[in-house]
Amino acid sequence: MARPIPAWLAPTSLEEALELRARYGEEATVVAGGTFVGILINQGLLQPAALLTLRQIAELAYLRVEDASASGKPLLRIGAMTTHRALERSPLVQRGWPVLASTFALVASPRVRNQATVGGVLADADYASDPPALLHALGASVVARSPQGQRLISVEELIVGHYETSLRPDELLTEIQVPGGIEGAVYRKFRSRSSEDRPCVAVAAVRREGRLRVTVGAVAERPQYFPEICALAEGQAGIDAELAREIGERYAAAIEPLSDARGSAHYRRRVIAVEVRRALEDLHQQIIATGGGSQRHV
Amino acid sequence: MSRAMPEPGENTHRTEPDPRVTGAIRYAQDVELPDMLYACIVRSPYAHARVLRVDTSSLPADVVALTPDDVRALGLYGCQIKDQQVLAVERALYIGDPVAAVAAASPRAAREAAELIEVDYEELPAVFDAVEAMQPGAPLLHEDLAISDNDAAYFGMRPEPQRNVCHHFRIRHGDIEQGFAEADVIVEETYRTPSAQHVPMEPHACLARWTADGRLEVWTGTQTPFNLRMDLAGIFGLPQERIRIIAPPMGGAFGSKTFVRYEAIVACLARKAGRPVKLVLRRDEEWLTLNRHPSTIHVKLGARRDGTLVAKQVTCWANTGAYADCGPGVAQKMGFASPGPYRIPHVWVDSYCVYTNLPSNGAFRGYGATQAVWASERTMDLLAERLGLDPLELRLKNVLVDGDRYCTGEVMHDVHFADCLKAVAGQIGWHEGRRGKGLAVLLKGMQTPSRASIVVEANDDGSYTVHCATAEMGQGAWRAIRMLAAEQLGVPVERVHFPVPDTDIVPYDTRTTSSRSTYMMGRALVEAVRQLKENGELGYGECVNEGGLDPDTGQGIASTHWHQGAAAAEVRVDEETGKLEVVHLHTAIYAGRVVNPPAAQLQNEGSMIMGLGSALFEEITFAEGQVTNANLSDYNIPAADDLPRITYDLIERPGAEIHGLGETALPPVPAAIGNALFSLGIHVRDLPLTPERVLEASERRRVRSAAPV
Repeated sequence: MARPIPAWLAPTSLEEALELRARYGEEATVVAGGTFVGILINQGLLQPAALLTLRQIAELAYLRVEDASASGKPLLRIGAMTTHRALERSPLVQRGWPVLASTFALVASPRVRNQATVGGVLADADYASDPPALLHALGASVVARSPQGQRLISVEELIVGHYETSLRPDELLTEIQVPGGIEGAVYRKFRSRSSEDRPCVAVAAVRREGRLRVTVGAVAERPQYFPEICALAEGQAGIDAELAREIGERYAAAIEPLSDARGSAHYRRRVIAVEVRRALEDLHQQIIATGGGSQRHV
Repeated sequence: MSRAMPEPGENTHRTEPDPRVTGAIRYAQDVELPDMLYACIVRSPYAHARVLRVDTSSLPADVVALTPDDVRALGLYGCQIKDQQVLAVERALYIGDPVAAVAAASPRAAREAAELIEVDYEELPAVFDAVEAMQPGAPLLHEDLAISDNDAAYFGMRPEPQRNVCHHFRIRHGDIEQGFAEADVIVEETYRTPSAQHVPMEPHACLARWTADGRLEVWTGTQTPFNLRMDLAGIFGLPQERIRIIAPPMGGAFGSKTFVRYEAIVACLARKAGRPVKLVLRRDEEWLTLNRHPSTIHVKLGARRDGTLVAKQVTCWANTGAYADCGPGVAQKMGFASPGPYRIPHVWVDSYCVYTNLPSNGAFRGYGATQAVWASERTMDLLAERLGLDPLELRLKNVLVDGDRYCTGEVMHDVHFADCLKAVAGQIGWHEGRRGKGLAVLLKGMQTPSRASIVVEANDDGSYTVHCATAEMGQGAWRAIRMLAAEQLGVPVERVHFPVPDTDIVPYDTRTTSSRSTYMMGRALVEAVRQLKENGELGYGECVNEGGLDPDTGQGIASTHWHQGAAAAEVRVDEETGKLEVVHLHTAIYAGRVVNPPAAQLQNEGSMIMGLGSALFEEITFAEGQVTNANLSDYNIPAADDLPRITYDLIERPGAEIHGLGETALPPVPAAIGNALFSLGIHVRDLPLTPERVLEASERRRVRSAAPV
């Protein structure tokens, strides 16, 4: 009669975890920080047969910089079990990818950030989280491992819908890779309620090698990016006020926003135009201040 | 006074470890008894449905179930109107209405057992809006309404069950038609405020057992032990002395832990099980237990060209949800707070307490005043704009002063509204420029009539014990009473003990609500200590306040003691997104005499922060009666980073009596912020002031100012 208590699978090595993941497949829900899964279980929205926790796998919590990307630019490797707080406070990240540190510092509250992990927030694919839009704009990728091997998936390809990723049932997200060579990067979080709330509209704007990438989060089921609109900034030294306004308005027109407690679709469309424009203005200021090549972004 | 004696107000928090911090305090949810079982509630998934069958046949043998058949014969209850049974016997009236309950060996076993109970329903039409619920043809919730004989029914009830009205309160003062005929200017507006949750850190928790000789003992987090005892006596058909209520300290209440909540269900389960039964609510169940009344308030205000108020007509619709609870009292207080603290010769108020198929709404810090002040004080600024007057000057011209008659006919004494207004205006820099600034003033009644009594006993070791029913919910009432007793007895506060209130021992007290305890108990204490000093052993004191209003005219004594305060806010608006930033919030409340400054300051800050939450984003959302944000991720309360600069004055006067200050600063805060927005030309009628609403209102302004005059 009683609902069985989910099996608690707590591997201590990645190898063991991959084996369990392959064996249980969708029967087991993977738990990283537990801030999302815990809420789903408490609210009765999730009744898994098994919980596969990665908490005891020490080898999945790390932050490393490697000079190994194809372009010869540095690459930040983030172990999937790295907490938001660890990323936010890492001098390595603060120095090399300051926008990452400052964005993760905007997530929820310190209590949540001490628990929530970088791998977890991407694997949840929750439309209202902060990090996906930024990592998308930064051109980040994730490493998906299975007993058969591993593949690299861009964040753009990873998040396919509402709480939906392209991870296969035998795969674990083990690492996040963020390339360097950033000339400027901005993340704007527009909240319509408490400072600890999720964004109503989130805008990440990044310029790398002269190319602009604007990603809008929290407004649709997955991060919204329109390369053809961003291409308007192609070949420009900076982003002037007129161009910023135009890109903002085009983004607002291109996105089909959703409605939720943080704002209606109609309102979100208004705010997207404003916040994209402001993000580009901020980005322009940053580029000017650093003379086109950021000192702070390695 | 010797230096060894503690001064009331001395910051003793620093010298005594706080048991809330050390973990030594035992809250209601920490009480345990041997062999106890754990309860879980089975709730209706329909907003309105006939309960056809409750099937418990799949339950394991060791689980005790409570079904409508078990409670059918028990008495009806309700602190003001007897409209509730222990479970929904015939019809479930809201999504979450308890239709059955179980008791099992562990909380988990109870939760799982609850899922095994099958209930058949026949869904019925439902209504959720108070104004719609009064229309002909709306589904009726209660066909007949018995008025409660509980002492909470301290005013005449005027129910109209054929249109879902459980109480219709009126004020008839002067001649309203003549008043509006005399007015040079009339402003009119309709306002709405949403439901809100109290969000106490400790959820509702209670434990019941029946003794071998058939007495009922209940440990529960309650602000109203004596009201609870009376209601339980009525439910079980027992004399009151056969029931014992023990009221441990609570981790917050704010009005939510009043009257009967789950104590009757737990007592029934305990009787059936023959064992003690305990219930601690899950967080989401708090939203299904008691919330704040959503309101719709229409205000029509008339004045002469020089700003003299001549007439005010107000209609309030207080949505009380499925059961009246203390809604009639809330609607009455909303009604008599809505004219505001002003001299108005002609006043006409209709305040309706209306049933709908929402969870019950009841006492909530502010008790109807938050809604009334929002409507009333926003309208004052509409009038000021129309007349081209300074909103402060308009208020000062009309505000009640000592000796004035209020619209209830009572003569006002110890009046400090003007002081409060001037204090907040000064602190917000009103005279240096009013753009982005707003203010609001509040008058709020205290429970009238009511009675407080207290016993002080001298112990053999030279210490003293205070026997008092006042509930401790984090507001520091026990400490304040101990400090007052210590001062009068001439001993350190550590030598005055305040045991957990037990209705078998403590003398009667109406309840710990409406910011009355330090004031009422403080007065009762003086007589108790005087007696004790005479006989050296024991002293008894009581404080009674008498009054009440005629429900058909609103004339009489609304309150023997008025809570008075004002708030001022300075705001900035992001014109492109509508995002509102409160830069500075200041309140001034009349405190008379402060007993324990650190506690009073914290309580006042708490009120302001709660008011800020209501102003900016707190709102329970429903979809066809289903709460859609019953968790602390979807329902936002203010976080540390949301706070503006917060300052306040607790106004004291030499020789003045103590004034309650537990909720005075809350109600004027949303209205002050709304008026600050209005100073920028942005008129928002409904709370909360979401960026979306602000943006929409700021665009209305642009359209209006662009229109040809």
